[in-house]
Amino acid sequence: MTGGTLVTSAAPDIARPGVRAGRIRRIRRIRRPSVLRGFVWLYLLWSLAPVALAILFSFNSGSSVSEWQGFSLRWYVGDPYYSVLHDPALHEAVIQTLRLAVLTTVVAVPIGVLFAIGVNRWRSRQASAWTFVMLLAFVMPELIFGVGIFLLLTNLLTFVRLGTTAQFLALVAWNISWPAIIVRARLQSIGDDYEEAARDLGASSIGAIRRVLLPMLFPAVFASVVLVFAGVIDDFVLVDLLSSNAQSQPMSVIIYTLGAHGGSAAAPALNALATVMFVMSIVTVAVGWAIYRRLTRGEQRRSGGLSLGPLTGP
Amino acid sequence: MAGGTVTLNHLTKCFGSQCAVDGIFAEIAAGEFFSLLGPSGCGKTTTLRMLAGFEEPTRGQIVLDGEDVTHLPPNKRKVNTVFQHYALFPFLDVRANVAFGLRYKHCSKKELNQRVGEALELVELGPYQRRRPAQLSGGQQQRVALARALVLRPSVLLLDEPLGALDARMRRTLQVELKALQERVGITFVYVTHDQEEALTMSDRIAVMASGRIVQMGSPQAVYDEPADAYVADFLGVSNLMDAVVRVPGNGSRPCTVTVGGFELNAESGAVDASGRVRLAIRPEQVVLRGYQESLANQIPGIVERTVFLGSATQVFVHLAAGLTIQALAGNTSEAASWPAGTPVQACLPPAALRVLPCDPAGEEALAEADNASEPVGTVSPAP
Repeated sequence: MTGGTLVTSAAPDIARPGVRAGRIRRIRRIRRPSVLRGFVWLYLLWSLAPVALAILFSFNSGSSVSEWQGFSLRWYVGDPYYSVLHDPALHEAVIQTLRLAVLTTVVAVPIGVLFAIGVNRWRSRQASAWTFVMLLAFVMPELIFGVGIFLLLTNLLTFVRLGTTAQFLALVAWNISWPAIIVRARLQSIGDDYEEAARDLGASSIGAIRRVLLPMLFPAVFASVVLVFAGVIDDFVLVDLLSSNAQSQPMSVIIYTLGAHGGSAAAPALNALATVMFVMSIVTVAVGWAIYRRLTRGEQRRSGGLSLGPLTGP
Repeated sequence: MAGGTVTLNHLTKCFGSQCAVDGIFAEIAAGEFFSLLGPSGCGKTTTLRMLAGFEEPTRGQIVLDGEDVTHLPPNKRKVNTVFQHYALFPFLDVRANVAFGLRYKHCSKKELNQRVGEALELVELGPYQRRRPAQLSGGQQQRVALARALVLRPSVLLLDEPLGALDARMRRTLQVELKALQERVGITFVYVTHDQEEALTMSDRIAVMASGRIVQMGSPQAVYDEPADAYVADFLGVSNLMDAVVRVPGNGSRPCTVTVGGFELNAESGAVDASGRVRLAIRPEQVVLRGYQESLANQIPGIVERTVFLGSATQVFVHLAAGLTIQALAGNTSEAASWPAGTPVQACLPPAALRVLPCDPAGEEALAEADNASEPVGTVSPAP
């Protein structure tokens, strides 16, 4: 291989990067000890294995949740009495969850966006007080909030019946802070320049919001929609406290009550319901993340701007 | 284009107890290129924002073509702005950005297309009309901002440091282009800058501002050659300022005699009839350096401290026997450019170039402030 030797000696510039890469690789090996890597895998296994098992047994053809008897869709659609599709309680729960998610999103997001715009242009001490109120939902335990609403509705505002209406009102109040905080952060990174430019070019103040501010806020609004929607699907405390009968129990409540206390439903069917809930949340966030990436593509990363912040939050 | 006269009448804007703009008077003629020049925090941007309608004046009046527009919202004024950071709408392409304001002009689709086309041609951006702002260079974005404002045919165009974000070379090119453009469209330009070179090269008239006031207003030549005080002299290019005491005040025919650190000098320009403590100003290019010799009138001996090669000329720092250091500008081929540090020299300060400036405590303060200024007071918004 004289040719090869010649090439390396004649072109040391080509040979050198290889050496350098080797050195870098060695450094990396030192900085990532296998103990830590093993620890990460253990952690992932520990946290994901129960979920994976639950999903796996929702596809079991038998009625056991510990012994695998073959793959089937029996607990989703096949079983005429106990499948998610045919058991009225489970079936109703899926619809109730979706109903609450859609209603809450449609109402809470616009209110939150307006709240953010309002607080952002209102420059006084009171405005910062309201910003604090906006943050309250993040620090207040959900149970306290839920019990508060429950007492309010059962003692004072008795004309609001427990059930879908009460759940909806509580979820809206609880979820307004998501769009409010995300949109406010975006507003602060956008600044006043664009709106002023629109005003300068002839737009009224409402026109400037509609033609310039809203299009620029769209990624933030969209992120809020995803988070609120996914949040409502996952919510348990509020919807449980404020449900009235089986009709107003969404998936999370059904899984809890039937799972913990037993009931008419078969165990694998509950697994199937949990899987439906899990997939709904994951799909909402995944699709949302992909679209958000598309919307903000080519945008300069600014300080204070959100890249994935709102979608990787709790 | 007809119209475009602006009158600022005792214009004042206070944020709390601090007045960013403090009683400004100015008459801007139609078709004039008028610059507001000053350091950050001097109130120039606030003045511009009041003209645009983004800030409501605390007191005073803005008259545009005979109409009082002081309290009109921005969208009701025949005034458009080119923002410092352009504020191009990132979700619209170049063409849609330029067409944005025409929607409010109620013109036909044909007219709209024609006007947008003309505006893009004016700034030579026709081929780029389908691009997004993020896909353009800084200079191109700046032109889009210009086209977007000019397409509306305003009476007055306001420009807020529009060249600030560009590199030095691009800035120089655009200065010439901007001036040519202004002459072609004939619109009144009100231009805000802290760069004295920009103001001098483009303006018909300059208003030098300090601490919310206009210190001096006049043609670039007048402001440069006959600065009203030490602040203006210092702000408009490097100037040598010397503390001096008047021995014999001058009058129409006789120059003023002053002493600087024990050396007697005659000064023929500026406030020659002043008495007591004054300041003397002379521009580096007017200082003549000679090899050391017997002292003659208006000369002070000194030694070369160091020389700095500037490219087109050489800057020579000379420590004078009078106890201060002055700068002189020497041609690269001149003898002075090659003198090593420590060379004894004679600095000639021609009486015609020596300018007597009255000592003004307010001006001194502004000068000190300008040196320390780091935060642009004019653009600071009240705390949220």
